[in-house]
Amino acid sequence: MPTFWSSIAEHWHIARTLRHLAIRFRPELCAGDHFCYEVCPVGCWMPDEAKNKAVLSHAERCIACGACVLQCPHNAIELE
Amino acid sequence: MATVFMRWLETRPGDYDRGIRLLTLGRLRPLKERIAQQHIREGMRVLEIGCGTGALTALMAARGAAVTAIDASPAMLAKARQKVAASGSPVTFVQMDATSVGDRFPAGSFDLIVATLFLGELGLEAQQVVLDACAPLLAPGGRLLIADEVVPSGTAARLLYTLVRWPLVLLTWLLTRTTSAPLRDLEGLLSRAGFKASQVCAALGGSLVLYQASPTDEATVARPRAVRLRHQVTLRTLLIDLWAAFFRILPPYPKVKPGLYAVGRPGPDSPVLVTGNFDLTVRRLVRAIDGQVDAWLLVADSAGINVWCAAGGGYLTAERIVAAAKAAGLDGLVSHRALVLPQLCANGVDGRRLREATGWQVHWGPVRASDIPAYLAAGRRKTDAMRWVRFPLRDRLEMVTVTLGFYGLLILLPILVFWRHLFWPATISLVSLSYSYAVVEPWLPGRDGLAKSVPMTLIALTGLLVYTAVWDPAPVPQLFGRAMGITALSFFCTAEMQGMSPLMRGEQANWGWEAVVGAAMALTYWLVPLALGWR
Repeated sequence: MPTFWSSIAEHWHIARTLRHLAIRFRPELCAGDHFCYEVCPVGCWMPDEAKNKAVLSHAERCIACGACVLQCPHNAIELE
Repeated sequence: MATVFMRWLETRPGDYDRGIRLLTLGRLRPLKERIAQQHIREGMRVLEIGCGTGALTALMAARGAAVTAIDASPAMLAKARQKVAASGSPVTFVQMDATSVGDRFPAGSFDLIVATLFLGELGLEAQQVVLDACAPLLAPGGRLLIADEVVPSGTAARLLYTLVRWPLVLLTWLLTRTTSAPLRDLEGLLSRAGFKASQVCAALGGSLVLYQASPTDEATVARPRAVRLRHQVTLRTLLIDLWAAFFRILPPYPKVKPGLYAVGRPGPDSPVLVTGNFDLTVRRLVRAIDGQVDAWLLVADSAGINVWCAAGGGYLTAERIVAAAKAAGLDGLVSHRALVLPQLCANGVDGRRLREATGWQVHWGPVRASDIPAYLAAGRRKTDAMRWVRFPLRDRLEMVTVTLGFYGLLILLPILVFWRHLFWPATISLVSLSYSYAVVEPWLPGRDGLAKSVPMTLIALTGLLVYTAVWDPAPVPQLFGRAMGITALSFFCTAEMQGMSPLMRGEQANWGWEAVVGAAMALTYWLVPLALGWR
């Protein structure tokens, strides 16, 4: 059953990917909407009011939920 | 997190075709041929909603109809394009969500609207929104054809249907990860949408039906007003709570009917709070705000799953909330244009799409329902404490009980059947390990459940040594067996608890490692006694 084995392989791949996903932030695209700060449940993001940009202050807390990636209007955040 | 996991569950177009063929026992194809032969004339303007891989699209195009086929899935559309290209007829394909079909096409632009095995994929309000939009799209004399699975009427037919369908659904899902949901009360849906419907034919013991419907001039039946929800404890809620304390991971999930509800006495200026339709979610939300806030509660169809998991798994989406808002007639209900969403559905609900589709402002509310009154009183302002997830002892104890209910059953049942003498030791160890972990979790070193499993296992082994030395001395081979058992159990409960809070990556992230460690332990358990000559 190729479907069965390919499912197992895919599963393994997903488990591995999930463990290693990390945020990639491109501050030059950030326009300071702070949706990331609004939605992050673990406090990775903080607003920098002076520069009107988001700051990825606690990347190590990231749980790879993808909320900031989805809500950022400028595609400044990626998970990879 | 779960988003990535759910990708595994997504159906591929080829699998989808096979799955549907299996589920309908090959009876869908003749039904589609019948639609093409008896209902399609040359030059007819046809809208196909949810064309899937385009089997019917190709048949209708071959009969000379001008077909517009829509589907939400780019992969399905690509397959449909291939199929139709082979027949050479022109078809307009549009990738879009069916709930916005009314905004996309001008009124009266189709002679026939057809949807096969599509409505069942939508939530209840989405079904109503799509059907509501259909009547105005039809030109005078136009008709609607719906072929879908329904739960047959009649006790005997229903019983037979259940007996045949469940194994079939399971088999199909395992082979192709395709499934479908039968419709309930299709005639009621159609009549509320302003259609007069009649059944054209039925197959599979009345479980696969074709309905033909034409718009009526009668005004649509008035929708019911918002029901008021209060915090109350009844025998029913106690029973659900008792079940949920141990087995809330297991479907079927207790659900609330999606729709608009009132908490307190809301008026045109009251806030609109959005949530999913898991019974526990709605009741806890109501408990948290009843008596403090007057609010409208818009319950979207999240398949009975809590908002975080439903959004991560693709069950609670912007489309579902749009559908709920449209079905509830929100626009005419309140004077403002602000939706308050739970922050924990931001991992799957696209805020921008929701804004664009409804024209409403989207506000991400607090993580915890108990913070909602303070959040609203502060003019929808969140403090950091409101936006960051905590996992206090009370929640840890609750979640460990849930883990025990489901995984405990999974581990302890085989032990009860095959290794009866180990049942009580294993049960007592698992329960005490789980609750001990819940208590000490924040102080264990390590950033996730896998890392924390090391100190936890060391604590558990120390406990075992003390127990063995003081109360129940045992020879080395037996002590080895006990140690392996305790290690396996403590590793398992620490690694699995991880998925019980959005504080750490989902437990799926651990599966690979759990498998590796499990295999290594099994090997050790088998090899060490062999090597040391205990057996």
